Amino acid sequence: MTVARDLDRTVARILTGGTYLSVGLLAIGVVLMAIGGVSPFAVGPAFDPARLPADLVALKPSGYLWLGLVVALATPLGRVAASLIGYVAGGERRMAAIATAILVVVFVGVLLGVAAQS
Amino acid sequence: MPDLGVVVLMIVGGVAVGVFGSLLGLGGGLLIVPMLTLGFGLPLREAVGVSLVAVIVTSSASAGVFLERHLADLRLGMTLELFTATGAMVGGLIAFLLSERVLAGLFTLLLIYTALTMARGREPKPATETTVADAALRAPTVPGDRPSGLPERRPYVVRHLGWGIVGSLFAGVVSALLGIGGGLVKVPLMHLVMGVPMRVATATSNLMIGITAAASAIIYLLRGGIDVYVAGPTAVGVFVGASIGSRSAQRVDVRVLRLLFVAVLLVTAWQMAGRALR
Repeated sequence: MTVARDLDRTVARILTGGTYLSVGLLAIGVVLMAIGGVSPFAVGPAFDPARLPADLVALKPSGYLWLGLVVALATPLGRVAASLIGYVAGGERRMAAIATAILVVVFVGVLLGVAAQS
Repeated sequence: MPDLGVVVLMIVGGVAVGVFGSLLGLGGGLLIVPMLTLGFGLPLREAVGVSLVAVIVTSSASAGVFLERHLADLRLGMTLELFTATGAMVGGLIAFLLSERVLAGLFTLLLIYTALTMARGREPKPATETTVADAALRAPTVPGDRPSGLPERRPYVVRHLGWGIVGSLFAGVVSALLGIGGGLVKVPLMHLVMGVPMRVATATSNLMIGITAAASAIIYLLRGGIDVYVAGPTAVGVFVGASIGSRSAQRVDVRVLRLLFVAVLLVTAWQMAGRALR
C-alpha cells in the first residue's frame, strides 16, 4: 500500500503546485490589467499559443492570464498523467488503462474544439 | 465605472462567492454564473466558461489537500471521471447548440433543486447493502494505509458501479452545460447508491471536478467561450474566497448561512427564470 500512498502524495503535490502556479500567473495578469487600465468588459484576445511568449515578454496582461488558464486546465491532466506513470510502474494494468482512456477523452475534446474553430 | 473599479468589483464578487460556497460546502459554479450574468451582464455561455475555470482552480487546491490526507479515493475517482469527462465533452459540444434561454431555464431548475435540498437540510443516510465487490476499487480502502496521526478511513466496498457510471455521465453533461463542478449529482450518487462514506464521497467528488471541468473548459476555450479578462479576476477572487472560507468554517453558524443562501438561491432562480422566459 506504500505505492498507493506515494502516488496520492505525488498527485497531491502536482495539484497543489499547479494551482499555486496558475493562480500566481492569473494574479500577475490581473495586476497588469489594473495597471494598464484594461476593463474586464473589453473583449479579450482569443487564445493564440504562438503569441504567448511575445505577450509574456511584453508584459501584456492577456499573456499571463492565458498562461495561467492553460496551467489551470493542464493541472488535472498532469495529475492523470502522473497516475498513469504510477500505475504502469506498479503493474496495475486496469487503472493504467483507465488513466489512458481519460487522457484520450480529453484529447478527443481538444480535436473537436480545434475542428469547430476552423 | 472606471476600469480598475470593475476589476476590483469582480475580484470582490469572486471572493464573496468563494467564501459563501466554501462555508456551505458547495462549489463556486452555482454562484459564479449568476454573479457574472445577473451582476455583470455577461452572456450565460461565457459565464459558464469562466465558471469552469474558477471551479478547476478551487477544486485542484482542495483535492490536493484531500489526497495528502488520504481522504479522496483516487482509484474510484479516476474510474468515474472517465465517464464524467466523457459526459463533459458531450455537454461542452451541446452547450454551443443550445440557446441562452434554454441554458437559463436549465440553470433555474438547478437553483430551485439546490434551494429545496438545502431547505430540507437532510443529511443522506449511508447505504447498507453490499452487492458489488470490485477488487481494483477496493484496494485503496484497506485499513492501515494511513499516515500516522490521521484517522483510519472506514473500510467500504463500492457497489452498483453501473449506476455510478450512468450518473457520472449525467454529472459531466450537467457540469459542462451549467459551469458547475457536479458535486450535487456525484456526492449523493457515490454515497447513497455506491455505498461510499460521505466524507470520502465529498473528497473524491472534489478530486473528479478538475478533469470533468477541464474536458469541457478546453472546448469552451477553443471555441472562444472564455473571456480571459473576466476569467482572471473572477478565478483569483474565488480562489482567495474559498481559502478564507475553508479556514473560518468552524467559526461560522452555518444554519443561519444556509437559510440566507436558500433565500439568495430562490431570488437568483426568479431572475434567471426571467431571463429564460424573456
